[in-house]
Amino acid sequence: MNTPQEIERLILRAADGDRQAFMSLYDLTSAKLFGVCLRVLRDRAEAEDVLQDVFVKVWRNAGRYTANGFSPMTWLITIARNGAIDRLRARKAKAENLDAVAELPDHGPTPEAAAVAASDAAQVHRCLDELAADRAGAVKGAYLDGMTYQELADTYAVPLNTMRTWLRRSLQKLKDCLSQ
Amino acid sequence: MDDVEPERDDAVLAGEYVLHLLDPAERATFEARLDVDGALRAEVALWADALADLAADVRPVDPPARVRAALERMAAPATDTVAPTRRGRSIWARLGMLGAAAAIALAVFVGVNRDDIFGLSPAIYIAQMQSEDTAFQVLAGYHPDEAALVVNRSAGDIPPGRVLELWLIAPGADAPVSLGVLPDDPKVTVTIPEDLRDVLRGSTLALSDEPPGGSPTGAPTGSVLAAGALADV
Repeated sequence: MNTPQEIERLILRAADGDRQAFMSLYDLTSAKLFGVCLRVLRDRAEAEDVLQDVFVKVWRNAGRYTANGFSPMTWLITIARNGAIDRLRARKAKAENLDAVAELPDHGPTPEAAAVAASDAAQVHRCLDELAADRAGAVKGAYLDGMTYQELADTYAVPLNTMRTWLRRSLQKLKDCLSQ
Repeated sequence: MDDVEPERDDAVLAGEYVLHLLDPAERATFEARLDVDGALRAEVALWADALADLAADVRPVDPPARVRAALERMAAPATDTVAPTRRGRSIWARLGMLGAAAAIALAVFVGVNRDDIFGLSPAIYIAQMQSEDTAFQVLAGYHPDEAALVVNRSAGDIPPGRVLELWLIAPGADAPVSLGVLPDDPKVTVTIPEDLRDVLRGSTLALSDEPPGGSPTGAPTGSVLAAGALADV
């Protein structure tokens, strides 16, 4: 059973030092989290490294997880995404070398993906659909690809300040929509 | 003038934070507020939760088996240790605050607290730690439900070849007690052992620079880089 309840139960058992539960948690969630890291980093070796760090953190900090009504996948995805974006920014700080980045195949949703992030994925998508396509694309680019304001401005060929304004207005609209 | 930026309220700022769009200075300022502002943490949690649904679009990819193998080794009992810090026994014994329990680990450090915001209760005490002689700006907040002291260094560089050690000076105590050596991360969480939780209010926190591994004597040997008292929020 790959439900939020099952994932939460495994996190809580891992917090008690249950290694089997921890490995089961890995088996259930690692493909999703690896996908999240790969999407941001677009480099298998780096994504592998980050994924390992993510689960080391999960093992050491499972006790800090508290059931609070949020999906346990939110907790795991947040840790994975933070780790991947930190790595991405560190890499970019070192050398701007985007040409060498391998392209990944397309990221269309799959049934497995839908099963893991089972909660009400509809809401954020419904709210994004209310935005113009490029505005929604910018929010997704920041979240899924870890793009900076500058990269988003370059991608959508608008001045940096325009991108900031776009995105902040988009967030305001999203917030209004999400709280309805 | 069509690029005039809209006024940013906390909801928008929290969204930018979750998207990692804040620049490093804005981010540090925001994180310092997060430590003490439960409403702001709630905004961040709401964004993180809503946006995590975007990950439904991400294709799962099986990681190579070596990652699993490495994690199995990591979680094996023999390697599952965190070095305890046991300084300050004599001081606390003298104060009558610690008895046999003095041998327990004093503090365990975790450097991933950004991921903890979903769980932390609101801070009840905060300390603004600084010094006229250094650029250090450190905000510490104590979250009682988790017994977590979140230490957030927004300015100040660790002197090369030195480490930061955190000290607690209880009201009336004549010597600092080590809360341990901090990792280099700008933000760390220190779990406060049970015996010390009741004396936090009004205590002074201080950071000193020490040789790698921490003070060899059990008392600060380097300079005090920042200090401040824990007061009610």
